Amino acid sequence: MLDLSRVQKELVDCNRDKSSGVSIDLVGDQLSHLAGTISGPIGTPYEGGVFRIDIRLPDGYPFEPPKMQFVTKVWHPNISSQNGAICLDILKDQWSPALTLKTALLSLQALLSAPEPDDPQDAVVAQQYLRDYPTFLGTARYWTEAFARRVSIGTEEKVQKLVEMGFPEALVRTTLENAGGDENMALEKLCSG
Amino acid sequence: MVRNLGWHPVASWTWDAQDETCGICRMAFDGCCPDCKFPGDDCPLIWGACNHAFHLHCILKWVNSQTPQPHCPMCRREWQFKG
Ligand SMILES: [Zn+2]
Ligand SMILES: [Zn+2]
Ligand SMILES: [Zn+2]
Repeated sequence: MLDLSRVQKELVDCNRDKSSGVSIDLVGDQLSHLAGTISGPIGTPYEGGVFRIDIRLPDGYPFEPPKMQFVTKVWHPNISSQNGAICLDILKDQWSPALTLKTALLSLQALLSAPEPDDPQDAVVAQQYLRDYPTFLGTARYWTEAFARRVSIGTEEKVQKLVEMGFPEALVRTTLENAGGDENMALEKLCSG
Repeated sequence: MVRNLGWHPVASWTWDAQDETCGICRMAFDGCCPDCKFPGDDCPLIWGACNHAFHLHCILKWVNSQTPQPHCPMCRREWQFKG
């Protein structure tokens, strides 16, 4: 059984600390499915980006590690450029129940600052990192610019707001897109059916 | 797999009131673990050889899930019950 009281405490604890650069939100009404956000560390090609992490809590949490995966596309040797899979020891065999979702997200942030190309999750990215570092930096920066800009997070918040008003998510997304991201215009369209 | 990412001792990561709360379930030591809903249930504290304390019920769950050698959740030393 998932320890719900602990997860609730974790959410409060994490989101109270605004300075950490990481936060956790509910995705639906289940505490077992959460969304983390990490701001890209300054001085890295991920600076200026906001990265979204899908978090699934197994029933055994906190005795089993949370399952985390990048939703935002990211060009990094230790994160799959295909599906966002992460290979990090504390999310596998080095997990400890004294760790938290926040500390795991902070570890991911540290991983963005300190890639380990000798131990890759994405071999293509790792090869580029080792053989042609300037091109790696360029690509990583480009991906941050293209996929992780703050704007896209704004969109997620708008989507969430409209979904909370009772509109189906898929409809909200297309309407919002057609309205060029204008929340009020989208709401008008949604209400007029 | 990336290992030892500038490993910080787990203790430095923990919550504000770590001395009064169980590092596993985060409930206060003067209360009981999440499995023991009612105050007054027998939910004792137990210390490891490393001097880290947990609810007995919480550390047992962790120790039983770790094979072959369980480690203390706080300091990662081999877990041994303090004799
Ligand atoms: Zn406990
Ligand atoms: Zn108990
Ligand atoms: Zn210990």
